[in-house]
Amino acid sequence: MLKSATAEKILLEFDPQKNNLLLALKEINANFGYISKDNAKKTAEYFSLPLSQIYETASFYDLINLEKAADLVIKVCSGADCVLGGANKIVSEIENYFRIKSGDKFNPKISLEIVSCFGMCAQGPIMVINGKIFEKVTTSRMHEILNEYV
Amino acid sequence: MFENKIEKILTKHWSEIDPLKIRDYLAVGGYSALKKFIKKSNREKILEEIKFSKLSGRGGAGFPTGMKWEMVMSQEKKEKYFICNLDESEPGVYKDRTLAENNPHLLLEGIIVSALVVGAKKSYIYLNGNYEKANNILAQAIKQAQENGFLGEKILDSDYSLQLEIFSGAGAYICGEETALINSIEGNRGEPKLRPPYPAESGLLGMPTVVNNAETIANIPWIVLNGGKRYANCSTKLFILGGAVKKRGVFEASIKTTIKEAIENLGGGILDGKDFWFAQVGGASGRLFLKEELNVPVSGSGAVLVVDKNANIYDLLLSWAGFFRRESCGKCVPCREGTFRLNEIAQRLRDGEISDRDKIAVEDILWTLENTTFCPLGKFAATAWRDAVEKLKIFSK
Ligand SMILES: Cc1cc2nc3c(=O)[nH]c(=O)nc-3n(C[C@H](O)[C@H](O)[C@H](O)COP(=O)(O)O)c2cc1C
Ligand code: SF4
Ligand code: FES
Repeated sequence: MLKSATAEKILLEFDPQKNNLLLALKEINANFGYISKDNAKKTAEYFSLPLSQIYETASFYDLINLEKAADLVIKVCSGADCVLGGANKIVSEIENYFRIKSGDKFNPKISLEIVSCFGMCAQGPIMVINGKIFEKVTTSRMHEILNEYV
Repeated sequence: MFENKIEKILTKHWSEIDPLKIRDYLAVGGYSALKKFIKKSNREKILEEIKFSKLSGRGGAGFPTGMKWEMVMSQEKKEKYFICNLDESEPGVYKDRTLAENNPHLLLEGIIVSALVVGAKKSYIYLNGNYEKANNILAQAIKQAQENGFLGEKILDSDYSLQLEIFSGAGAYICGEETALINSIEGNRGEPKLRPPYPAESGLLGMPTVVNNAETIANIPWIVLNGGKRYANCSTKLFILGGAVKKRGVFEASIKTTIKEAIENLGGGILDGKDFWFAQVGGASGRLFLKEELNVPVSGSGAVLVVDKNANIYDLLLSWAGFFRRESCGKCVPCREGTFRLNEIAQRLRDGEISDRDKIAVEDILWTLENTTFCPLGKFAATAWRDAVEKLKIFSK
């Protein structure tokens, strides 16, 4: 979908029934990177639901953001297979190198999230940068990969 | 070799099929179970076969599939739903994704036959929101099935109709639990509901609903073609081998496969130079098994993680506790607070700052999770920790 799509246009693709709410929120999130207050209101109007219902649903799901995401979003899998393969070393290396702490949302440029298993355990450790998946990541590969982004 | 002794039911055509081409699936006899059901059989006969087959759920709980279907078939309400559970968010478990990516039409044929037998006109695949590749493959397969008259109105010129939609989730482990899954499709927070009523009576939009795991469903076409009695003698299952084994990945083997057989015959044994410590069976919510406990069948979702003596147990404890802290849905206090505090203690343990107070607290937290939470997730959060305390004796070193 075009990045220039407006929330109104996206909403029109869905019948205004509640069982389309999550799908619509995901689509808006995919286009704008998050659900802004404005777009939450538009969604509430379109579905004829109270605004609180929109937030109730949206706030539940990891793949829907209510705040603008950082420019560079790094996710590292913390499942057992990835951890046995050294995922924690990658996390601490990123934390030290960029002087950020996983889970903190203060830095608008970069954020690091520790996330649940991606179901790609045989290819781990798994790191995801702005949605792109990298497999079998080591600390040195991590630096190579991130060099292309910063 | 051991794994070749069985007749493969689920993985048989994986290497010969292009998952994007329905032609390939048709060339190996695909959709003949659907044709047999529509032209030569009926709903009651298929239900009988499923009951004979003793097929039980592959999503973890092992409930008999025939019984679940019968409960929905016996409901008077006209509208019924069939849902394929492909949420699969248990760490270390990726069998359903692998199945869908390698032979999507086997899964679709299973869904179509199952849905028609239970009397649904509308069905869903609830797909893990991270599974983009599987999403594309399944969407393409659904389109092809419609073009070939296997889905939609008047399937194969019969009076049967069925709609099938993919509902892609948004990253929440708890949505794999069937009542939470139904809440999620309805546009609500994906929190579990009180049972009864069970989904079989009052599920999606209040209508009788069958929720089956994707692997469970993929067995249906074979049973329809070969009969339930035969299936009962040669049932297979998918196993996922991980950790310190030579071959990691998804394998099909007899449902009776023991943990030891899975490690040695499917995973090729432990990596050279490594010393076996324990195996975790069933993902992050699975129990731990020591060397002398491996002669029992692999239970639950089929995941076997092999951990060797060089592994850092504190990293693993934090991996488990962190997972359940993130995935606790927050509906009930014991799980919300318990997983939060267990995760804090896990962090202190890893950083070497554990106190005696923490050790006592762990006992209280585990007991609370085991005995007082609203849904099974709370118990899952305590399972591996309990075994780590009692079998690995993490606190008495
Ligand atoms: C916390 C939790 C997570 C679950 N996750 C899944 C899952 O990802 N996939 C699945 O098929 N079943 C999952 N289940 C089990 C489902 O509730 C349900 O029993 C299953 O989908 C029924 O299908 P089956 O009878 O074919 O196994 C989960 C259960 C719980 C309590
Ligand atoms: S046990 Fe945990 S996941 Fe289940 S309802 Fe309570 S808070 Fe939610
Ligand atoms: S453990 Fe990292 S992808 Fe599964």
